[in-house]
Parts: sequence; structure tokens; C-alpha cells
Amino acid sequence: MLYQILAILEQAEEPLSLHELSRRLNVEPSALEGMIAFWVRKGRLRDSAAVSCGQQAGCVCNAHRQGCPLRHSGPRMIALVDSR
Amino acid sequence: MAPPPIPFRYPSPIEREIEQLATLFAQTPALTSYPARWLAIQALEGDEGILAAIEACHDPEVRAALMASRERLRAVYGDEIDIVMVDRRYQFVHDIASRAVTRPALPPTTLSDRIDQIVTHRWLGIPIFLVVMWLVFKLTTDVAAPFVDWIERVLSGPMSRWTAALLGFIGGGGGWLESLVIDGVIAGVGGVLAFVPVLFTLYFALALLEDSGYMARAAFVMDRVMRLFGLHGKSFLPLIVGFGCSVPAIYATRTLDSYRDRILTGLLVPFMSCSARLPVYVLIAMIFFPAQAGHVIFGLYLTGIVVAIGVGVLLRHTLFRQQPATPFVLELPPYRLPTPAQIWRQMWERTLAFVRNAGTTILAASVVIWLLLAIPVNREGQAVATDVEQSAFAYLARLTAPVFAPLGFGNWESSGALVTGLIAKEVVVATLIQVYVGEEPPADEASSATLSADLGEIVYGFGAAVGEAMAALVGMGGITSGTETIAPVANELATAIRAGLTASSNGHAGLAALAFLVFVLLYTPCVATLAVSRHEFGLRWMLVSLLGQFAIAWLAALLVFQGGLALGIAI
Repeated sequence: MLYQILAILEQAEEPLSLHELSRRLNVEPSALEGMIAFWVRKGRLRDSAAVSCGQQAGCVCNAHRQGCPLRHSGPRMIALVDSR
Repeated sequence: MAPPPIPFRYPSPIEREIEQLATLFAQTPALTSYPARWLAIQALEGDEGILAAIEACHDPEVRAALMASRERLRAVYGDEIDIVMVDRRYQFVHDIASRAVTRPALPPTTLSDRIDQIVTHRWLGIPIFLVVMWLVFKLTTDVAAPFVDWIERVLSGPMSRWTAALLGFIGGGGGWLESLVIDGVIAGVGGVLAFVPVLFTLYFALALLEDSGYMARAAFVMDRVMRLFGLHGKSFLPLIVGFGCSVPAIYATRTLDSYRDRILTGLLVPFMSCSARLPVYVLIAMIFFPAQAGHVIFGLYLTGIVVAIGVGVLLRHTLFRQQPATPFVLELPPYRLPTPAQIWRQMWERTLAFVRNAGTTILAASVVIWLLLAIPVNREGQAVATDVEQSAFAYLARLTAPVFAPLGFGNWESSGALVTGLIAKEVVVATLIQVYVGEEPPADEASSATLSADLGEIVYGFGAAVGEAMAALVGMGGITSGTETIAPVANELATAIRAGLTASSNGHAGLAALAFLVFVLLYTPCVATLAVSRHEFGLRWMLVSLLGQFAIAWLAALLVFQGGLALGIAI
């Protein structure tokens, strides 16, 4: 099951929605989330939800103390980690 | 009756190792407090707590056996053994679920699915995206313009008069302090803050698109375009963030795996028109193309995307020639009706960031510009009472003006504004207002206005702005003919800017204005963006961005102005 996620991503020719991935694997989206989280922990997938604007690195505009309010833009994206 | 238990077994190579280890652990007194099979599974999966317990029992035979088991399994499966074991468990659960759960052959189609069939359609998706963008910028200009006009009138009228009266009351009237506050702070910072309604409307539209779930679809649709040109589809996400601000957009390139892809995308991000440039577009478009301001601004945003793709293709086939892009999964959340509270929160936070920036960077820039405008060169005139034509700012700006002369805006006012725009793009507007306000003669009729008349003017002006905005909104819905023009910028400022560009372009002010807008769209990003670029990609790539974008902007503006002249375009 886990390896199928990587295989589908490697063979995909265009971006997939989570819904489509769930349909292809015939698993519930909630189960898929657990598998994705596992691969993210193992460093094989990257989840954009875990990448911030860089508040820790010091957002240089300093316009907003709680971090850049524009960083939330954009949807969540999960991709294979490039091992090349 | 309870269903029969379904035994779970790992594949035989793993089971063999588990059994061997379990037997050994059962014979090790320090480990007998754990169930032996469970302990063997945890040890093979590399559970840190269990490995520490095994380490603590100081039994070399146990350690060696565990190491040997893991090595043998790695040789069999060619991967980390914990992945293989977790995969097996997921497969087991999936098999049971498949047998126990009956799913419909065709999953039910939700409303989101039905909308997506149209919105993310292979051929319809991109035209829909362009229409949505057009609506956003039409809304941004047409609806916000009356409020911009109202704030400008309040700042240049009642606010300036009250400030002058207050300063006169405390003994600071008529001198350098009054000039600093009115010509420097109110004209500079206030001039930029007048565009808050524009940004407020833009952030409203962005929040609406994000919260409704459309923004994810836009990225999905644009991925196809990016791939068509050999670019990485994932690059479009940072580029979308770039519509708001280039700084978080460059940070957003961290979602890309390859460092080279990150650099390439980081170089393209500043071509996406950030919200700080919007006040410049609105100011110039409202002066020169009042009936078509929305279309002009939409065209600028589109130009930014086209140039970004063009430069990306060029770089991909030269400096960044490399491997094909890796595919990815995008979360397409179900469409939702955005909640007013959430929309308001986003609008408020983002607008507040802009206002804070106006209170720091733009305020500092405005004071420096005021100082340079107040200092006479050649010792002609007195400080503060200096003719702006003879000011240090004009002198310095004239040094850069020849660079912009072939582009049609080689007057010192425009050149100076573009140079100060390197600090932050909003400063272009602040500088233009300060420079041209300084050239205006004082308004005599202003001093005679009473407080009640001023208050009446503010309230009446606001009411009129609301009415005009509503009319514009209705006009967008197609109820009116849509030929009405949006409220012009304050007449004096508009006349002065038009006269300046007419002189610098030999009477082709419209073309010069268009070239100016294209230059603002494409030229060197602000210092904050350059700093982030250096932080993320290093000094070399920051310099490429700085110089490369200036060259591209210069060439594009040259093409617009000289090309327009050659084609005999009269605007």
C-alpha cells in the first residue's frame, strides 16, 4: 500500500488531487493521510503544509509580528522528495 | 456471534527473524518483562525506546543477533525494514476493509466534483482562471477608486488644513515643521495610505478565492500551462503567493525539491505583480486611462505572468537545463462558502501589514525624500522654501533621468520615483505625490474653510464614494452600460503628472505612461525581496535578479514606447 503511493506519484504525468489518489488506491482519504504522514516522517514525501514562510529564519519584511499574513496563500501540496 | 479472528502474519522472511529474535529475547532475563514477539517487532522496526532497553542489558549476543536480522531483511527487501513492516500492516487492514466494506461501484458525485468538472476542465480551466483574474482586478479598481479619491481629498483638504492650524496653534506653523508634516508625512505616507481601499478590495478577493477553495484549482489548472512550457508545475504556487508579496513567495519556493528549481522559481517570482505595485498602477491608470483602468491593470498582471513564463522557458533551456519535473499531489478542498469573519480576518491582517509598512519604511523614505526636496543645490533659495526644481532630490534624480529618456519618462520626477521605489514599490507613489505637491502653489481658498464645512465635506464625500462604488459594482454585473469612467485622481496631481510625462515623451504621454507601468511591473524588486533572495539563494543569484530584472524591464518599456511610436499608436 505504502509503496503504491510512491509508484503512482512517480508514474503520474500531471498533478493528482488527494481525492483522485484516494480513488486510485481504493482507500479512505483519512487512511491515506496516515500513509502520507508516514512517508513525510521517513523523508520520502514533502508536505507543503509543513513548510512555512520562514518566520523562524526571520521574515525580513517585519510588517506583521505573528508572521507574514500572506504566507497562507496557496493550497497544500505533497510531492516526492527528489533523491537525485 | 463474534466473527472469526483473522490472523495477521508478516511475510515469511520477516516472520523467521521475528521468531528467532523472540526466542532469544525470552531467554534474556533483562528483557523478559516485555512480550517477546512484540519486543522483536519493535526492535526490528527500530523503536528508539526498545533499542535503548536492549542496549542497557549489555548482552553482545542479543545486539549482534538484532543487527544480523536487520541486515538480512534489508538484503531481502532492499529498503528499511520498518517501512516494509508498516506497509504489510496497511495492506492487511486494507484487505479486511475491502472485504468488509461495500462501496458503490461509482462513488457519489458531490457538488464540488461537479464544479471541478468545469473549473478544472482541460480546455475551460484556463479561460475561467483568466475571467476570475479579470473580475478581481476590475473589482479592485472600479469599486475601490471612489474611496481612494475620497481619502485623497480628505488628506489634501481637511486633514492638511487641520494639521496646519494645529501647528500654528502650538507655534510651529509656516516653517519647516509644517512643511515636513504636510508635504512630507501627509503627502508621502498619506498618499500611499489613500490606496488602502484598493488593497482592502484585493485582499477581499484573494481571501474569497482562497477560502472558497478556488485558489487550489487555479494552481491545478496552471500546472498544465507550466508543463507545456517545460517549467515545473509546482512553481506556480510560489508565483500565486507572489501576487500578494514577493517575500513570502520566495520563501514558498522551499516547497520545491530541487535547489535549481528553487532558484529558477525565485528568479521568476518578482515578475508576478505584488500588491505593493498596485497603488502605482491605480494612480497612473486612473490618470491616463480612466475608462479602461481595470483592463490596463488586468493586462499588467497578465503581462507579468507571460514574462515570467517566457523568462522561465529561456532559463530552462540555458542556465537551468536539467531533469524533468517530479509530479505531485495537490489537496483540492471541497468548495466552501467563505465565512464573513474569516474573510474579514484575512483582509484586516493583510491590510494592517501594509499600513505598518507605511508607518515604518514609507515614513522613513518620505522624510528622506522631503529632506532632499527641501535642500537647495547651488545655494539658491532657502531650505524648506526651495523650488523643487532646484532641490537636491531633483539634482540626484536628473543624474538617472538619461537612463529612462528612451522609454519616454526621462523627467526627473519619474526617474526619482523609480529609484526610490527600490526601497518599496509603494514609495513610487509617495515620491510622485511629494514631488508634484511641492510644485503646486498653495491653495488660498483652503484656509477659509470652517470646521463644520470640513466635516460636511468628509461625510458628504464618503456618502458619494459609497454611491459611486455601488454604481460600479452594479455596472460590473452588467446592469448598466459600463461606459462610465471611474473617479479621477486629484486634478492637480493628475495634471502635473500628465504634464511631466507629456514633456518627457514629446507629447506621447499615454505611451510613456504605459511604458512606465510596464517598467514598474518588471523592474528590480524591493530591498526586502532582494534580502530574502540573498538569504535563500546567495549573493550571485540576488545580483542576477537585481540586474536581470532591470534589463528586462528597460527593454520591455523601450519596446512599448518606441514600438508604440513606430506603429503610430496615439494614446
